Amino acid sequence: MTTTIGLEIHVQLATQTKMFCGCSTAFGDEPNTHVCPVCLGLPGALPTLNAQAVRLAVRIATALGCTVHEVSEFSRKNYFYPDLPKSYQITQFDHPIATGGSLPIVTEQGARSVRLTRAHIEEDAGKSMHAADITLGGETLVDFNRCGMPLVEIVTEPDMQSSDEAYEFLRNLRRLVRWLGVSSGDMEKGVMRCDVNVSVSPDPAKLGTKVEIKNLNSFRSVKRAVDYEEQRQAQCIADGTPIMMESRHFDEVQGTTTAMRSKEASNDYRYFPEPDLPLLQLDPTELESVRAQIPELPWEMQSRFERDLGLSPYDAALLTEERSTAEFFQQTIALYDNPKKLASYMETEVAKLLNERDKTLTETQLTPATLAGLLTMVESNVISNTASKDVLPLLVDTGTTPTEAVRSLGLEQVSDTSAIEGFAREVIAENVTQVEQFKSGKEAVLGFLVGQLMKKSKGKANPKFAGEILRILLK
Amino acid sequence: MSSELPRTLEQYRHAVRAHELSAEEYLDETRQLIERGDPQVKAFLHLRLDAARSDAQAADPSSPLAGAPIAVKDNIMMAGERCTCGSRILEHYVAPYSATVVQSLLAAGAVVPGKTNLDEFAMGSSTENSAFFPTHNPADLSRVPGGSSGGSTAAVAAGFALGAIGSDTGGSVRQPAAFCGVVGFKPTYGLVSRYGLVAFGSSLDCIGPIARSVRDAALMMNVMAAHDPKDATSVRRSPVDFEAALQPTLAGKRVGIIRELQGLDVQPEIAAAMETTRKAAVKSGASLVDVSLPHILSALPVYYIIAPAECSANLGRFDGVRYGLHEDGRDMTETYSKTRNAGFGTEVKRRILIGAFVLSAGYYDAYYKKASSVRQLITDELDAALQSADVLLTPTTPTTAFRLGAVTDPLEMYKADVFTIPANLAGVPAISFPAGKDAAGLPIGLQLMGPRWSDADILSCANVLFTALGGES
Amino acid sequence: MIIDKETLEHVASLARLEITPDEDGSLLGDLERILGYVAQLGSVDTSAIVSKRPAMTELRPDEPGEGLTREAGLGGAPAMRDGFIVVRNVMGGEDE
Repeated sequence: MTTTIGLEIHVQLATQTKMFCGCSTAFGDEPNTHVCPVCLGLPGALPTLNAQAVRLAVRIATALGCTVHEVSEFSRKNYFYPDLPKSYQITQFDHPIATGGSLPIVTEQGARSVRLTRAHIEEDAGKSMHAADITLGGETLVDFNRCGMPLVEIVTEPDMQSSDEAYEFLRNLRRLVRWLGVSSGDMEKGVMRCDVNVSVSPDPAKLGTKVEIKNLNSFRSVKRAVDYEEQRQAQCIADGTPIMMESRHFDEVQGTTTAMRSKEASNDYRYFPEPDLPLLQLDPTELESVRAQIPELPWEMQSRFERDLGLSPYDAALLTEERSTAEFFQQTIALYDNPKKLASYMETEVAKLLNERDKTLTETQLTPATLAGLLTMVESNVISNTASKDVLPLLVDTGTTPTEAVRSLGLEQVSDTSAIEGFAREVIAENVTQVEQFKSGKEAVLGFLVGQLMKKSKGKANPKFAGEILRILLK
Repeated sequence: MSSELPRTLEQYRHAVRAHELSAEEYLDETRQLIERGDPQVKAFLHLRLDAARSDAQAADPSSPLAGAPIAVKDNIMMAGERCTCGSRILEHYVAPYSATVVQSLLAAGAVVPGKTNLDEFAMGSSTENSAFFPTHNPADLSRVPGGSSGGSTAAVAAGFALGAIGSDTGGSVRQPAAFCGVVGFKPTYGLVSRYGLVAFGSSLDCIGPIARSVRDAALMMNVMAAHDPKDATSVRRSPVDFEAALQPTLAGKRVGIIRELQGLDVQPEIAAAMETTRKAAVKSGASLVDVSLPHILSALPVYYIIAPAECSANLGRFDGVRYGLHEDGRDMTETYSKTRNAGFGTEVKRRILIGAFVLSAGYYDAYYKKASSVRQLITDELDAALQSADVLLTPTTPTTAFRLGAVTDPLEMYKADVFTIPANLAGVPAISFPAGKDAAGLPIGLQLMGPRWSDADILSCANVLFTALGGES
Repeated sequence: MIIDKETLEHVASLARLEITPDEDGSLLGDLERILGYVAQLGSVDTSAIVSKRPAMTELRPDEPGEGLTREAGLGGAPAMRDGFIVVRNVMGGEDE
């Protein structure tokens, strides 16, 4: 059995205002409060295109290697639905803003480049909430705050063969849109939504019947829906029951897909060019400047980190999940040349503090210079690794310098051998039993003795020196 | 107050500025005319005379329109006023915002006495398609005023307003202007904002002034023509003073006569008016040129594909969910159908159905796409003809105003738009000006068309001909 | 024949219009004649025609504009509850 998967992803663009009107794109406000004549489809209202939405769409399309078209056209897609106020959606049809392009993915099955068919810009519909379907007289509640939100729809070729690949595609696309500042990529808020086309065929040379699963709103749902659908279609083939070309709905609770009720009228959207919007013409010099401003892409940076800095694939992926983290890492590396140690420190100690504070790196006072300074102090035995954990919160919360923080906490490490020797002699004198045990070959007891020494020094003794000095004195 | 009321906006403005007349006095006179005449003419769907009087009191005499009453077609939004579009589906709808043009007119000192009748959603040529009542032609109450802006043109002709605004999708300002004996101007597409005009055929719709003289139309255009950031099809141009651009003669102008329209069946008096006007043009310094537009007669079928297609989408928003008429059904599909069936009249339904048909799978290429190509062809031909002529002179209508109820066949009604539609397809400016009367004393209108953005020139040429034929300068 | 009863019903359902029995016959006849009339365009040679749709001259800056309050925008809606528009259940109907 061969499974073929294609995705259609709607990504909400990170603008202040909607696609065709000046209403706010803020999420989570009272229903029907971000509305105006345009997004409510009042008589006489006309759309005007948001320049920033176009810029963001061009940015993502350029980063995906699409051909961005200098001239594109808006069309009306006609259908009736209570959350679609004009009875048509303004979208792009015959002449989208971008075609082609690809996105790389890596899974256990290996690396693959997923080709894209097109990317086009359009407006979102409002949000319908269906009252629990208990009675026949159930109701639907409609909120138009989301109506007119700017979207870019990215359509892939049927290039994926497993739910893992679909999952990876979405993960990498999400990383990219966040990386470029094009979208928050937040699936929980519906900022990224996905339709999946799945077809299973017994003959790898022939495509099976395309089944569309609509409106998936988490990566996990995509994976589960594809897994279920793969198994369902395989079962159909085994049983000899025909697979219908249809749209299906994924039930989050059951983990199953069900056919959507067949429509009253067939899907005849009667697309035609939107007369209220002349053609969208992009200035070639502006397109060039967008291209020039595209930063190093996350997967490019990831493989550079592996190749040039010797990071593990795991570390490289983790550090390039967010652009701000990756750039912080890069800037820190320029001041503290131990990529592996920095990576591990960022993934453990720094990550822990950010987690506790529920903040991103850029929201704290930590800078590449202070973090590099701190790690250099550990490296050169000015403070212990343990002590650094007490210093880090100060750097994160107050923005003070590591030197200042170490001094204020009184944490300078004692590397003066005569001082350590003094502590060592006291420890030997006070722990006769343990000293005997060590001398009779119990190496592990040294750790206890070092601990005692550290206690005496109030944690300031360089533990490496402490161990060596104890060893010499106990010979 | 002087014994004689001003007949034009220009005279009114002069009188108000000379303190011979106040805006309130004039409004009171207008009110009397409306109260006496409108029960027969039925130009207005809703009147707001008390509000208009306080607006007139507050009007600045030095403002461009100085408190002059300007009527507004009831498919153009005015905040706080009903906007029915002549349809049951919007019978009780109150506009929450004003069209850009209405804002401009009010800011320039216009006073709106009321909203005028129209064919439902501007679809028709007689104002008989209004869901509420037909309007009558002030020149002969047994006849239609034309349409779809019949209420606006009748109001201006009957003295209920010094000017009015209408919308012109296929001739809806010019044709009723011709029938009522007033001036109706359709500007270049993109010169006047459409924001707040309830859309019928978005790529064709234009708001235009209706006036008693060409000069008045120019005065109104000075207020109405402006780039509007709310309308993406509105074009930013340097401002033009349309009144100051009016020239005394046609010296050096080439007036084109379209060969392919010569054979058409027009009422003899209209043909005679064309002849008289041609001579007047030559006398005013113009030369006549013969131009050919091989596909101009395809304009009518093109229009009756494009306009219904656009209207089928534009009128989808009237679904009973957010505003307007609502008829409950068992489910949403039934709710939609019941609402729309109860709300729309026959002509509107007919056009929505044609529109949905020509856009539907399997028919799109043969109808909509083909019509779009022929539209481009006609536009190209018109652009080329307007290289060898500065303006094109045609009748506005094949006949003068017909009797109410006389034309019942929709296709016959459509065919009366043959002269006016090409300007909408090509987006060029066109004006209808009065050019005499027929044997029954009914007004005759002739049309001038010109290149895109030659609006000032069209108005100037029309002004010369209009005054040469005895119109108010 | 260009349009038959079945096509008319299909088109009417797309447009969410009902064809009432009393307008059935006359409507079909009118549409047939109108469509027959406009079909004459089929004979026009358009093979060399290039569309010259204009381009937008300016886009809207991404800045907040004037909105409407819920009351001003939707105060006339047939049914509202807790700020939402209420309609008959559409679950499982046409999806988008």
